[in-house]
Amino acid sequence: MARGAQPALTPAFRAPYTPGADSDVLQEVPSGTDPAVIDMRRLRRQFDATPQDLAAALQLAGAYVDYSRQIGDAHYAGYAEAVIAPWVSRTPAPAAALVTQATILQYRHQFAEARELLQAALKRDSRNPQAWLTLATLDMVQGNYAAAGKNCAHAAETAGFELGLACTGNLRSYLGQARQSLTMLQQAAATADKSAAAYQAWLQGLIAESAERLGDWPLAETHYRAALKLLPQDNFLLVAYADFLLDRGRAKEVLALLAEHTQSDTAFLRLALAQAELRGADAARYTWIMAARFEALALRGSDYFGREQARFALQLQHDPQRSLEMAQRNWQLQRAPWDARVLLEAADAAHQPRAALDVLAFLQQTKLEDPIIEPLAQKLRAQLNSAAGGGS
Amino acid sequence: MRRRALISLTAAALTSVAAAHSASDAYLTLTGAAGSRTLLHGQWDIALRDLDFVLQVDDDGDGRITWGETKRHRADIERYAYAHLRIADDAGGTCTIKPTAQMIDDHADGAYAALFFDVACPQATKQIDLHYDLFFAVDPSHRGIFVMHAGDSIATSVLSPQNASIKLAP
Repeated sequence: MARGAQPALTPAFRAPYTPGADSDVLQEVPSGTDPAVIDMRRLRRQFDATPQDLAAALQLAGAYVDYSRQIGDAHYAGYAEAVIAPWVSRTPAPAAALVTQATILQYRHQFAEARELLQAALKRDSRNPQAWLTLATLDMVQGNYAAAGKNCAHAAETAGFELGLACTGNLRSYLGQARQSLTMLQQAAATADKSAAAYQAWLQGLIAESAERLGDWPLAETHYRAALKLLPQDNFLLVAYADFLLDRGRAKEVLALLAEHTQSDTAFLRLALAQAELRGADAARYTWIMAARFEALALRGSDYFGREQARFALQLQHDPQRSLEMAQRNWQLQRAPWDARVLLEAADAAHQPRAALDVLAFLQQTKLEDPIIEPLAQKLRAQLNSAAGGGS
Repeated sequence: MRRRALISLTAAALTSVAAAHSASDAYLTLTGAAGSRTLLHGQWDIALRDLDFVLQVDDDGDGRITWGETKRHRADIERYAYAHLRIADDAGGTCTIKPTAQMIDDHADGAYAALFFDVACPQATKQIDLHYDLFFAVDPSHRGIFVMHAGDSIATSVLSPQNASIKLAP
């Protein structure tokens, strides 16, 4: 087995075996010298010593959720869930525990359940800023922009002007106001506490996204890099930057960027896409492993990879029909720009412009700006018009 | 301090949505022994990553689990795993689980310890009761992907905290 960097890439899937040497490296795991791991272990000891202490449970669960997101590994979301489960099942459940559990469910794309918990938390504590912000985020992901606006306003009331500005700034990027969005987010970044790296990195990532809406590639890249400088291991940022690079025809850079992140399924898909783009020697193997991972997820009943699966089916399995089905199911759950894009791409490739009607109406209504999505939408609208004209 | 904690949680909440990731699975397979109604052969693949979380298999903490470390923890791994699997015959008699070997099996998301074992039930049974609760106490999102081979038939089940006890025909 290859040492170190790519533990998941074995030469072939073989029968169970006995490794040849004691020194053979079988699996990479979070290192005991990683400060985040040391911190989690410290919080775990604290929690184990005082299992009745809500603050200790929330701190440990929060650390697990952060780490889960950072390395793109759902295991830690499960560990967090176990830690706060006794509090969530208590009546009445503390609002903070409900908000943490909602964050975990949101992470697993169980949006309806997450929303219920947030609403329950707000009934208990109507000034819980985290609950308002998380609700606003859910609304943005699901394309409920009017509700997101109201929840951003609540977030501003409870969490302060600066977070409200970031929330609203983010929202505007989906509403055809990317230029304003950019200004607001840049203002939020300028006034934000410089020592809060995760918050700064999040803002930098949002600025990069808004710049992408405007097609300002150099600006987007500057801010992706600034974000990654603050949080070099962050799965979300790495994947967003990898998508940016793939769109710019810079697949080779994706291989270097994500070489150490094969454990994350979302990162792995981008590696597989980059390999295919480069027609690398490993392309078929990456595609095969990605398929096996999706199969493993299907076996356990997980169904929250619609966006990734639609891209995989279209670009790596060359199956537009399957891609379209995935994208349509995903669209019922998520409505971020990428969700619109995968559906339009699949509808185009499958020559089924009518399948894109919902998305086209949504784009018209929201006025989303995007230099990749807009021409695609125009093309499909033209196909629909000519079909309608031909039929009359 | 309070403000810092809020901001860090906020960043996590707002960016975590788009990330999607692999979760914890184990693969449990039982096969009826030819010509026997009391004996089953089993293979249980458990991710080294998951075992490391509960048992710290990576002794030197360098972030790499070696075969040497895995071998040193063989008894720990078996004790931990088999404490979370119970099999009984239809009269309620507990079937004994006897470890026979431990190897490595590669899955798409990493290396797994492959635990081989024999199950011997006190008497011939039409049905066995299987109870599985590996990792549920530390990670309720863990799933046991279960496959039973009996003659030519195959039965499958996804074991979860909500579906931890199942009945099977051997």
